[in-house]
Amino acid sequence: MSFREKIHWATLATMILAFGWYFLVYPWQIVGSPAGVMATAGLLVPVTIAIIAAMTVATGFLAIRSPRDADAREDERDRSFHMRGTHFGYYPLVVGIWLNIFLIFRDIGQAEQLNLMIATLVVAELVRIGTQLYFYRRGY
Amino acid sequence: MARPPFTNDIRTLRFLAGEMTQGDLGDRVGVTRQTIAAIEQGKYSPSLEVAFRIAHVFGKPLETVFQWDETGD
Repeated sequence: MSFREKIHWATLATMILAFGWYFLVYPWQIVGSPAGVMATAGLLVPVTIAIIAAMTVATGFLAIRSPRDADAREDERDRSFHMRGTHFGYYPLVVGIWLNIFLIFRDIGQAEQLNLMIATLVVAELVRIGTQLYFYRRGY
Repeated sequence: MARPPFTNDIRTLRFLAGEMTQGDLGDRVGVTRQTIAAIEQGKYSPSLEVAFRIAHVFGKPLETVFQWDETGD
């Protein structure tokens, strides 16, 4: 398994854990009130710190274990899988944005919009990373 | 998952070239060891440039390294 593939696995696990925790502990009973926006901000700070910390540790650990691989530049296979992942990740992003636009006209609250945007971004990222990992595993 | 409609003799050519490793070939071609392994296993279809670079490393024409497989895709 290449260094980049390992990093993608670490990113996938980190995203699932961090945002899984976010959506689990979010106080959904206040999502319709102004306090819901502050709750989003309050939870995004530890989530962001946790993601940065986890990815720093994972990258450092993997780079120490295989420094040669860590120094290697992205080759054409990596770039090809990256492009395909971005391509597939684009669709949930567009669907989420259109859903958000539609719901704004239905007068949803700011915190609901925020959470929908976060969910859209998370799903798009998971699809992007998942697609890359799929191609790394299955090939072609 | 579909396979590329061609096979290759990279593994044999590496062996004949003094048991060259996948990593050595990757370094000379400009791709990672894992990409060479994927090409050998038919799990990745390389660009024309990389295919030519691989053939160039072995000093062989392209069709000696890669062969069109009529039974393939």
